[in-house]
Amino acid sequence: MLADCIFRYAILRIVARIISMPTSTQEKTIFIIDDDEIIRLSCEQILRKSGYTVKTFANGYEGIERLKEVRPPLLVVDIKMPELDGFEIIKIVRKIDPDLVIVVITGYATIETAVDAMKMGAYDFLPKPFTPGELRMIIDRGIERWRLAKEAQLLRKQKEEAERKFVTLVSHQLKGPLSAVKQYLDVLLYTSKDQLQGETLEWISRSQARIVEMIGLIHDWLMLAKVERGAFSDRTVSSDLEKIIESVVREYRQLPAAANLSFHAELAPNLEKVQGDESSLNMLVGNLVSNAVKYNKPGGSVNIRAGKSGTWIVLEVRDTGIGMPPSFRQRLFEEFYRIKTPETQNIPGTGLGLVICKRIVDELGGSIEVDSKEGEYSAFTVRLPIANAKEVEYTKAVGK
Amino acid sequence: MVKTMNEPKAVLIIDDDSDFVRAIRTLLEASGFKVRSAPNGRDGLQLARTSQPDLILLDVMMTERTEGFFVLQEIRRIPELSKTPVIILSSIYSDEPTFRVDPDAGWLPANLFLAKPVDPTRLLTEVTRLMNESALVKSSSEAVRR
Repeated sequence: MLADCIFRYAILRIVARIISMPTSTQEKTIFIIDDDEIIRLSCEQILRKSGYTVKTFANGYEGIERLKEVRPPLLVVDIKMPELDGFEIIKIVRKIDPDLVIVVITGYATIETAVDAMKMGAYDFLPKPFTPGELRMIIDRGIERWRLAKEAQLLRKQKEEAERKFVTLVSHQLKGPLSAVKQYLDVLLYTSKDQLQGETLEWISRSQARIVEMIGLIHDWLMLAKVERGAFSDRTVSSDLEKIIESVVREYRQLPAAANLSFHAELAPNLEKVQGDESSLNMLVGNLVSNAVKYNKPGGSVNIRAGKSGTWIVLEVRDTGIGMPPSFRQRLFEEFYRIKTPETQNIPGTGLGLVICKRIVDELGGSIEVDSKEGEYSAFTVRLPIANAKEVEYTKAVGK
Repeated sequence: MVKTMNEPKAVLIIDDDSDFVRAIRTLLEASGFKVRSAPNGRDGLQLARTSQPDLILLDVMMTERTEGFFVLQEIRRIPELSKTPVIILSSIYSDEPTFRVDPDAGWLPANLFLAKPVDPTRLLTEVTRLMNESALVKSSSEAVRR
């Protein structure tokens, strides 16, 4: 799957480069569509002297067909022609190539026809009769405009690409050194635990904990950046929430912080699949269960319920923890917001988990709410659309 | 290459982070493994060919962003290494859920994926398990041949 993606990406890059690297002939090719032979010949002669490659056509159909293949930067078109007139041609070629610069030739240079042509996307107009100088000036200006537009387009693409790469690369650069430091400490503890003194041991453990915190922060930040760019979650697939809940519970049960907590999952039988991809749902449920573990009380419990309500699957993750006063609730889904109380000061966290949850839920077309009582509990309720039958069938058919 | 029972099992680490390599090398050597390492895919492949390790630990992001994946595919093309257990050890594993691929899926024939930094106990357990499994496969296929 990934190799395939990399391969496709490489091909796309090559294709993009070819497209964005117009050959000098393409860049200087001008199409002229005019039923008047004298205009065609004189324009061709004038523009050829200025170094342009000129292709002339006596009617619109022929010109449009060739335009699909050649993709010239500029088209000169006569308004008044039998069969396909200039306005109709503009309408069609705009759809083929939105970047094409169009110059209109008009025999009756009334303001109205010129304005009409401009409204339809022509760049400029040339009233008949015109001098070679006027023609050259307008064409040069049009070509320059096309070149600048292409350049801006390319820059925009490069910027987007750089932004996309930046996040992954920076995260890798930040995590690399931290990973190495953590690895040294892990191995040191494993191989020399017996020779280390009490305080040394404690300092190493504290260092490990702080590094884990930092790695977690980078991880969450990367996820958030991805989610913010959109198209992180996939609404076109459906997932089995039961399976996801099971695997998340299995994972979080093993955490040291969950040692004295009990987990209860109460899932409606034959729960329908929800709309969304497995990895974002995993992250959503994982973040909620992680919070329920972290902000719980010793001997407390984590309760997960899921059931159907109309066209929704309702998931509730409830803890028996420290809860929160109502004033905190509104800010809960804000970036880097963490509730600061004596109880929470030693709980590691990045303040991004719920933000990520909110973004995922939004993208999947659902909602998330919180209910809490200080000192007693917090309960997060997520509503996710049930995957529709068609998608379920499709998923079955492709055997995913 | 025939190995006697007493000869220490050999691990090859292909990773560009020398500190990471040093930490893992210390851990593995303390547990009685023989360790070789290479800082990039090309040298790694060369060393894998000549030294015939019992297991390979492979990083993903080296000089190229996906170097490890291509190295792995190369490893599998070498007949003597086609069955050698490979553990992909990378920090991208943890941030990219899409990288969590099924080792059985043909395109990325790794035996296991572990996130960096790796828990020493976990690494040693998995290294030993995979080596035993592959030794079992080897001896049974030899038995069949006989």
